[in-house]
Amino acid sequence: MKRVSMYTLSTCPWCRKTKKFFKDRNIPFDFIDYDLAGEQEQEKISDDMMKYTGHISFPFVRIGDKVIIGYNPEQYDEALKQVA
Amino acid sequence: MDVEARKKALRFMFRQVVEPLGYKFTPDEDTADFCLGQEVRLEQKHGVPYCPCQGLTKDHKHNIRIICPCIPYHREHFDYMKMCWCGLYVHKDVTDPGRLRQIPYEEFLKRTGRKP
Repeated sequence: MKRVSMYTLSTCPWCRKTKKFFKDRNIPFDFIDYDLAGEQEQEKISDDMMKYTGHISFPFVRIGDKVIIGYNPEQYDEALKQVA
Repeated sequence: MDVEARKKALRFMFRQVVEPLGYKFTPDEDTADFCLGQEVRLEQKHGVPYCPCQGLTKDHKHNIRIICPCIPYHREHFDYMKMCWCGLYVHKDVTDPGRLRQIPYEEFLKRTGRKP
């Protein structure tokens, strides 16, 4: 499994910035656009997110064991150092 | 559907709601234009311009809270961030929206000593 995975929305500008952040640094990542997923997958995603937050807010990024909600390049850098 | 015309109409309508709350459209025109374009898309799909950065669920009570402009439902949280979650609206005194960060709700509670 890749060290970086994320839940995103195809409609969200911050999710676009987040994907760009990792692409620009050639860091491979997995992502699922929540709004383009089927109903069952959406439920799995929201159940997973609800372990960390009461809000289905995006982007939702997992770097190693660290979860970062919202676009936050400083925290991405910090978390990437931990899994380096 | 003329998307540009609908974006203009949404801008006009939303401005009446957010300005009295102390907010304005983000000076970052790319983000504003992209968000409004996505909201027209969401409106076409769901009949309502939902927030482009928050997920819909089967819970109607949840979904109502993310109809744009959703500031009134998240007033303290967004005031703390000086912007709404998707960044379409920022506080009137914000000139450099690029410095603002999305702060998750739970982090906002922690930082301000509030209870959930």
